[in-house]
Amino acid sequence: MPLLELHNVHSAYGHVKALRGVTMSVNEGEIVTLLGANGAGKSTTLRSISRLASVTDGEIVFDGKPLARVKAEHIVRMGIAHVPEGRRIFPGLTVRENIMIGTCGRGRLARSRMDTEIEEMFSIFPDLRRLSDAYGWSLSGGQQQMLAVARGLMSNPRLLLLDEPSLGLAPIIVQQLFATIRAIRERGATILLVEQNAHMALSVADRGYVLSTGQLTVEGTPDQLQDNEEVRAAYLGGTHHA
Amino acid sequence: MKKTLNAYSKQGRAARIAFFLCGGAFVVAAPFLFAFSPYVLNMFMQAATYSIVVLGMVVVLGYAGQINLAQATFFGFGAYAVALGTVTLGLNFWLTLVLGIGIAALAGLVLGMTTLRLGGHYLAMITISFQQIFDLVTVNWAEVTQGPDGVAGIERPVLFGVPLDDDRAFLALSLFILMLAAGFVWWLPRTRLGRAMRAVRENEMAAEVTGVHTLRVKVIAFTMSAALAGLGGGFYAVGFAYISPDNFNFARSIEFLTMTLLGGAQSAFGGILGSGLLILLPEWLRFLKEVYLAVYGLAVILIMVFLPAGIWGLVRHVLDRWRKQVVVDEASIPDLNLDVRVADRSPILTLQSVRKYFGGVKAIDGVSLEVHRGTVHALIGPNGSGKTTTLNVLNGIYKPTDGELRFDGVDITAITPHARAGMGIGRTFQNIRLFPNMSVLENVMVGAQRANNNIGRTSDALRQQALSALKFVGISDKAELIAHNLPYGHQRLVEIARALAGHPRFLLLDEPAAGLNQTEKRELGELLKRLRGHGLTVFLIEHDIGLIEQVSDRITVLNFGKNIAEGTPAEVLRNPDVIAAYLGEANHATT
Repeated sequence: MPLLELHNVHSAYGHVKALRGVTMSVNEGEIVTLLGANGAGKSTTLRSISRLASVTDGEIVFDGKPLARVKAEHIVRMGIAHVPEGRRIFPGLTVRENIMIGTCGRGRLARSRMDTEIEEMFSIFPDLRRLSDAYGWSLSGGQQQMLAVARGLMSNPRLLLLDEPSLGLAPIIVQQLFATIRAIRERGATILLVEQNAHMALSVADRGYVLSTGQLTVEGTPDQLQDNEEVRAAYLGGTHHA
Repeated sequence: MKKTLNAYSKQGRAARIAFFLCGGAFVVAAPFLFAFSPYVLNMFMQAATYSIVVLGMVVVLGYAGQINLAQATFFGFGAYAVALGTVTLGLNFWLTLVLGIGIAALAGLVLGMTTLRLGGHYLAMITISFQQIFDLVTVNWAEVTQGPDGVAGIERPVLFGVPLDDDRAFLALSLFILMLAAGFVWWLPRTRLGRAMRAVRENEMAAEVTGVHTLRVKVIAFTMSAALAGLGGGFYAVGFAYISPDNFNFARSIEFLTMTLLGGAQSAFGGILGSGLLILLPEWLRFLKEVYLAVYGLAVILIMVFLPAGIWGLVRHVLDRWRKQVVVDEASIPDLNLDVRVADRSPILTLQSVRKYFGGVKAIDGVSLEVHRGTVHALIGPNGSGKTTTLNVLNGIYKPTDGELRFDGVDITAITPHARAGMGIGRTFQNIRLFPNMSVLENVMVGAQRANNNIGRTSDALRQQALSALKFVGISDKAELIAHNLPYGHQRLVEIARALAGHPRFLLLDEPAAGLNQTEKRELGELLKRLRGHGLTVFLIEHDIGLIEQVSDRITVLNFGKNIAEGTPAEVLRNPDVIAAYLGEANHATT
């Protein structure tokens, strides 16, 4: 049984329809990526899973439980972490405090356990270690993005929803980030990844879906997607990349 | 029939004006059409004068987003000017009314100029203090203000030889003035000034950088608000023939604030609705006797909780559903004129050992560089290396700790951001800063209305320029949508269009490709090349190496706030230091 299933999910902002019947699944331990143009509904798909966007029709099932009956604040406790795009960190808290906030949904953690996990984040993002006592507002945009990702990872989720994690990161950091994404999967987490950098996304993913104006059009393994003419033309920047 | 955007707005405007005039005429005639009791007439008198004051709050709070907790003070200036002027000094009512408005406006101007730099809770505190001082003066300076006893026997004026002693006639005059004020406040948001006010409310930093003189706009809003309060005060004094300090205390200011928020701060009609409701509500609830205050309070709280945009917000929401979908006729939009004359390749921008320290943090620590006319110059470097700080120093958001900036031969180190925009420096932000609750078109119009933009001053010219800019980036079909409803990538394009509508000579772009997919990135690259073709100089921060290779003539690399390399893409992207600090081995292998 898949960990996450979407059945014919519809979503709308006001009278603008963002999702028009999305059916997809994510298996335990998989990295699944969502590709698509701007406005296709990628972020809305993630937001509808974490209940930040309202589902007007259809059903989302996580671990056998329909999410419609779960209160929004309990989504995190069920093991779903959402790292939204756009760096929403807490500007008045320090980097360390921001990271610690990520554990809120897990109940009380032993001090030593907390320190170990924070240390793990610092090993992924060494910049954050250097800045651990700096306030969120004083970080550069890219550093804030690292912090948002680290905070999401701290909730130790079963399902991690990542919305454009590479946004605004230096190339060398992007490489580290994708290495981290692989490492997180090794630890047993399941990841649903939205990423404009389709090459990178397909290099780590097990499967991918293509969204177009609120509907899924193509599904397949990275190889299948990379061979698909339509996908290449639209999301991989033409044919010269093999 | 397809409606183009221009046809729609003209037709819509005519219909709205006609509707407003008919409604206004009916309201003014109402005292004569219905047989109101003197008690009801009194209540309407109160509602009419309060509404004028609340319209002022709509301007300052609803449009410009500045808190004002001293509106009763300005109301008091108008009322006392008329009361003391006519009773003590025996002056003509109309003269004292003008004086009252003048004094209120002057007080607003002085208070605004000294405090509006602060904003937020500081502004709230200072307006409260101002209110307290006014209270103390009106109560204690009894020789002039007649103290707590107040001023009685204020007489009705004569208009064109007709004395207005009849309550109905004076109410009709007050309503007429209210309709004039409402018409003004209703029309204001669609003007340059009104658009600038809303831009300040939506995102002050973006407004300033786009060329809005934000301090001046806030002071004007504050002054207008005070003047309207003075006008309302003058009519209030005459309407009730008696005033005393407790009509103008802090509680009254809070009442005005509540009326504004209750009705809907962002609309003239909302302001009037809120005033009327808060005056009528106690009357309707009178049958409740002892529990009346509790129910009244509860009703106000409930409305505020469930209708955060006020009652008018709800009405607005319903009306918006009926609004026809507008089709923009793209073929009829003229192409955007972006041409900039490039005489030679001399530097348009020079940075001379610029430093910016935040306390002990050296965000940039001696950056020197030259950007040549008509080129695309990229700034790259690790996260936190000072790229965005450099951009913020360039367009004046930060004053450098040390060093000098020259733009086109002029030392701009000490010039404000809006003045730099007026010189032709455009900018987009890393974490998109649009005016989220304004339409896409209005967002771009704010960019078009920067100082020295040579496109004519009419609103049609602005609209045309904005549509052309939207067409240039390829999203003119989104013109009428509210900006925050657009997906991330399109919001980026709106920001670029907003900058281009100002016809910049020099364009600063902070990570323009973030959030775009490969295809969109390539299109952005083409767009940047087109800009260079028109003679624009582009200075961009970017992490997408593909895009940088595609467009840049020169690259500067920052690390720890200092330049570590500069040159052509071929030179810089193979520099071992740059690979180690920024690119990483994997990228080096593929490029």
